Amino acid sequence: MCGIVGFLDKTENRDAAVGHVLFDMLSALDRRGPDSSGVAIYSDQTGQSSGGDGPPRYVVRVKLGERGPVEAAAQTALNRLTRVATVLDSHIQGPSLRVVIESAAAPAEMEHAIEAAGVSDSENNGGALEVVSLGHRLDLVKQVGSPANLEQTYAVSSTRGTHGIGHTRMSTESRVDLSHSQPFWAHRGADVAVVHNGHITNYHKLRRLYEQRGHRFYTENDSEIIGLYLAERMAQGAGFADALHDSLSEFDGAFSFLAATADALGYAKDPFGFKPLTVTEAPTYVALATEEQALRAALGDDFPVWEPGVKDVATWRIGRG
Amino acid sequence: MPTVDCTGKTSREINREIRALVCAGETDVHVRHPQARHNLGVALLQPVTLTIQGSVGYYCGGLMDGATIEVHGSCGWGVAESMLDGTVVVGRNAGNSAAASIRGGTVVVRGNASSRAGIAMKGGTLIVQGDSGYMTGFMMQKGTIVVCGDAGEALGDSMYEGRIFVGGRIADLGNDAEVGEPTEDDRAFLTASLARYDVRPPAEFRKVVAGKRLWQFDKKDFETWREAL
Repeated sequence: MCGIVGFLDKTENRDAAVGHVLFDMLSALDRRGPDSSGVAIYSDQTGQSSGGDGPPRYVVRVKLGERGPVEAAAQTALNRLTRVATVLDSHIQGPSLRVVIESAAAPAEMEHAIEAAGVSDSENNGGALEVVSLGHRLDLVKQVGSPANLEQTYAVSSTRGTHGIGHTRMSTESRVDLSHSQPFWAHRGADVAVVHNGHITNYHKLRRLYEQRGHRFYTENDSEIIGLYLAERMAQGAGFADALHDSLSEFDGAFSFLAATADALGYAKDPFGFKPLTVTEAPTYVALATEEQALRAALGDDFPVWEPGVKDVATWRIGRG
Repeated sequence: MPTVDCTGKTSREINREIRALVCAGETDVHVRHPQARHNLGVALLQPVTLTIQGSVGYYCGGLMDGATIEVHGSCGWGVAESMLDGTVVVGRNAGNSAAASIRGGTVVVRGNASSRAGIAMKGGTLIVQGDSGYMTGFMMQKGTIVVCGDAGEALGDSMYEGRIFVGGRIADLGNDAEVGEPTEDDRAFLTASLARYDVRPPAEFRKVVAGKRLWQFDKKDFETWREAL
């Protein structure tokens, strides 16, 4: 099962009610899987326009542990971050630390600094610190529990921006905790995130290949590999739509997934059409959800909805605000 | 006219209300604000006409016998699944497996149908006014599928019997499906059934039937078998 949702405002509006739409859609799908839920929302959150002055700004989300006190872990994360970045703002929300930083360092360098790769587990707070997301425009929150729980911790429905994706999970192949929840940030570069409904059946084989090339995996969840694959293809120069197309010949199994970048949203469907996905597109927006009832609950009664065919890929870009 | 408003109700509560109205002798029931809920109008066994003013989710009209359902919107997976008799008309698009395993009756999709439309049909008729997706008519055993627009890949894959008519382009034929010649009876059937549901016929139809090479195992067809299985 699992429910996935996506929304993108196609106009020049940079302040659309993305969180509201995603939350309404997720709530309508939560019976497809209330194990955990999360959203990735894209906005001009750092106040820095692209090509603006000074070092690039990012929002970083750090997981502070699955349970228990989080203050000490937050302090450790901030101490480590200050070695590679200037911290502009930080606060703890539930099990997650949100930090706005300014840094000329590469995203991977910041990630390694926070997670202190190679440091022993006892020094590293039981290995709990994990960069959940990092992006210029991306902010990603997720936790164990239903969309209603997520709303309580993060007030998702009042978050505004240009586009976003969301997930409500029924675990079938790996454990239920914050790390295994979706969306997954791609961990390679900034801003790419993915939500997935299905199974990537050649995951273990692909994972071995990636591990041989030095990639770290944070979970046992097959969905984690999708973002990694897309981000790597795009880093090699492929466009977003091309990366999605290429993924269809790389992944085996039954899947519908949504992916987002700093300025775009797209989906890909497996070659057999085994997993559901519905789409509606208006002149001003596009919305996608596992079931039509999510679209109806969030956006109303009067628009056409369709189910994309097999091997189908589509992408949309935000307006230039 | 009796109306069931779905707002705030579960599919089970809605179906109970519909059933209560039908048992009280109503023959025409309207359903408002369905918001794509699943399982609406399942197992209706009386000749009632249900008008659903909006979209429905999965299995609308499944297992029914003799009712008529008009959906003024789209439908999710498995509309009219295993219907014995009756009619379901979907005003917009249909999700996967429309008319799956129906034994009789008619399903009309005025928009497009997604993958595996008419899968395992055992009778009855599926009419798609627009295009139909991947593996339309997969393993159908009896009955008729009419696609006025284009048909997706693997059309009629592993079909045992039955007939498929396509007005537009056929992306490709599935295993053991082959193009046949429409008979005079076929043409009369098409004219009458499309006129009945006010569907404009395309200029011409091509007919697809089972090649029947998969009916008995033959070693020289091994490659086809391997592909089909």
